[in-house]
Amino acid sequence: MNAPLSRRALMSAGAGLAAASLAGSAEARILPRDMVPLIGAGYRAVDQDEKGLWQLMERVEEEVSGSNLLIKDPQLTNYLGTLIGNVGGPAARDMRIYLARIPEFNAIMFPTGFTVVFSGLLLRMRNEAQLAGVIAHESAHFLRKHQIRQWRDMRRKTDVFSFLAMGAGVAGGAAGIYAGDLIQLAQFGTLLSLLKYNRTLEAEADAMGVRLLAEAGYDPMAMSETWQQLIGELDLSAKYRRKRRHRDFNIFETHPSPDARMADLKISAAEVRQPGKAYDAYRGRYLAAIAQLRPTLLDDQVKLNDPGASQYIVDTLAKDGWNGLLRFNEGEIWRLRNSQSKGDEARAAQGYAAAVMYPDAPPDAWRWHGIMLLKQGRSGEARAAFARYLQMAPNAPDAALVRQMMTG
Amino acid sequence: MRFKQSLLLLVAASSLPACASSVGGGAFGYSGYSLVRVKEVRVGDDSMAVTPPREWNKIAGSLFVDIHAVEDWTQNGPYLDGISFVTGLKDGKALVHQRSRDDRQVPKFRSNMTPPEIAAMIESLFRVRAGAVDFKTVSLAPRTFMGANGFQFDYEHLDGDEVRRKGRAVAVVQNGRLYMILFDAARSHYYNALLPDFEAIVNSARRV
Repeated sequence: MNAPLSRRALMSAGAGLAAASLAGSAEARILPRDMVPLIGAGYRAVDQDEKGLWQLMERVEEEVSGSNLLIKDPQLTNYLGTLIGNVGGPAARDMRIYLARIPEFNAIMFPTGFTVVFSGLLLRMRNEAQLAGVIAHESAHFLRKHQIRQWRDMRRKTDVFSFLAMGAGVAGGAAGIYAGDLIQLAQFGTLLSLLKYNRTLEAEADAMGVRLLAEAGYDPMAMSETWQQLIGELDLSAKYRRKRRHRDFNIFETHPSPDARMADLKISAAEVRQPGKAYDAYRGRYLAAIAQLRPTLLDDQVKLNDPGASQYIVDTLAKDGWNGLLRFNEGEIWRLRNSQSKGDEARAAQGYAAAVMYPDAPPDAWRWHGIMLLKQGRSGEARAAFARYLQMAPNAPDAALVRQMMTG
Repeated sequence: MRFKQSLLLLVAASSLPACASSVGGGAFGYSGYSLVRVKEVRVGDDSMAVTPPREWNKIAGSLFVDIHAVEDWTQNGPYLDGISFVTGLKDGKALVHQRSRDDRQVPKFRSNMTPPEIAAMIESLFRVRAGAVDFKTVSLAPRTFMGANGFQFDYEHLDGDEVRRKGRAVAVVQNGRLYMILFDAARSHYYNALLPDFEAIVNSARRV
């Protein structure tokens, strides 16, 4: 379904994109101005089949809202709620948002208007406009009734999908996937047929998302940037493992030509900009909102030891300026990959040495800096680094071992 | 090394072909357990011997997820508790079998690793292979193991199945190889109930 993006196409980026944009947009692009919401405030399921779907989804929401994988920080939850308020259109007040601590580049909108944002998405967003863009896209699925339209479309095409079969596919079933399992949702959301939209519906969500974004004063170009980051990350991840990328992600899936889609998003973004109106990415506001969480978000990603993806993410975030936290995580990426032929240990050591030059270097940067110095036989300098670590983190859980390394 | 989710999925997906070609480590076919009696037994590649204080169940080696130097035991089944023995893992090898093209990989063991590096390797094992979304170091401290200067690593994790688990690993690197006994169990009840067994097993461990 999802044609792999050819690396050749990416390499000839300029020409390739231009060609794709001509081919993709001349016929198929859905215009943002045509994208009016199909539901208003306080919408409830009307038809019998939709009512059944809602009942099912209410059970799913009950599961999700009770999950202990949710990040329940009230400030952050409030912040996400505000974003839905900004880009949720007429149904903004009806929508609920849940933040799950799962390091995946994904977000999912359910037919009843609740959305699950995975923490891996927050990690990758450079500013509020990017995050609002994803939320706007997901809101558009709800506002355009995509879930029920997709479902009816599938039923028309094949009778196999009776309501019960769909129910089984969504809420449990033979595959052992039940929608309350957030990890599986994050990784395999694309497999849940109900949440898999066809090309037209995705194009609608893109067009409407861009429009909602611009109407709220966000830079509408943010959506194509997000898309570009996703492609770049998948490609670098695959390249480091010597293969072509194969994973697809719910937000941007099912499109034969990702380039065309990115090009459409750019054209649409230019189209919805009003002359004289100011658009902002709200980077400062975003960084302030996730400041407490960012070290954890990076840690959750880097420890997965997917070096291509992690490096892409760190480099992308560093476009807004390097700091101690990012340099530290750069060191972590190479330490965990620990390839001898690629000299990863030396690269890791450089990362930590660079990190501790910044005032915001986390205590762990000093510890790892010390360990690398110790392994290089520079025990005097190592001792100083360990001392700094223990001074910054006097209650560190590994203090006893670090003290042993200082004397040993 | 035993892994709750991945292991069970594999069993479901491929039990038939695996049965046909069973080389299960001393057990009956693929999905079997064999009894570990209360006497000294050799584990892993037979280079370590331990004496359990009561009977345990050895999980038959899986062709797909296990490696030779690792052996797994359980009392109540792998979802609830388990002890893994790592006997002489060599430089450049990982704790689990994995393909070089997997996106996410458990870091390889290196002979020159310090205890924090081995602890980090264990953390990635749980994050990559067991779906841990939160992982906290409770303590990392020196400890004598099999008569040598090793370390003890205590940790807690929250996994994708929403269960909070707790673990302790005791390890040492000798002659460039990793020897380790790792205990991991559901935090409520099972960890505390079986910790004394684990301690007795660790204290009984010797190189053979």
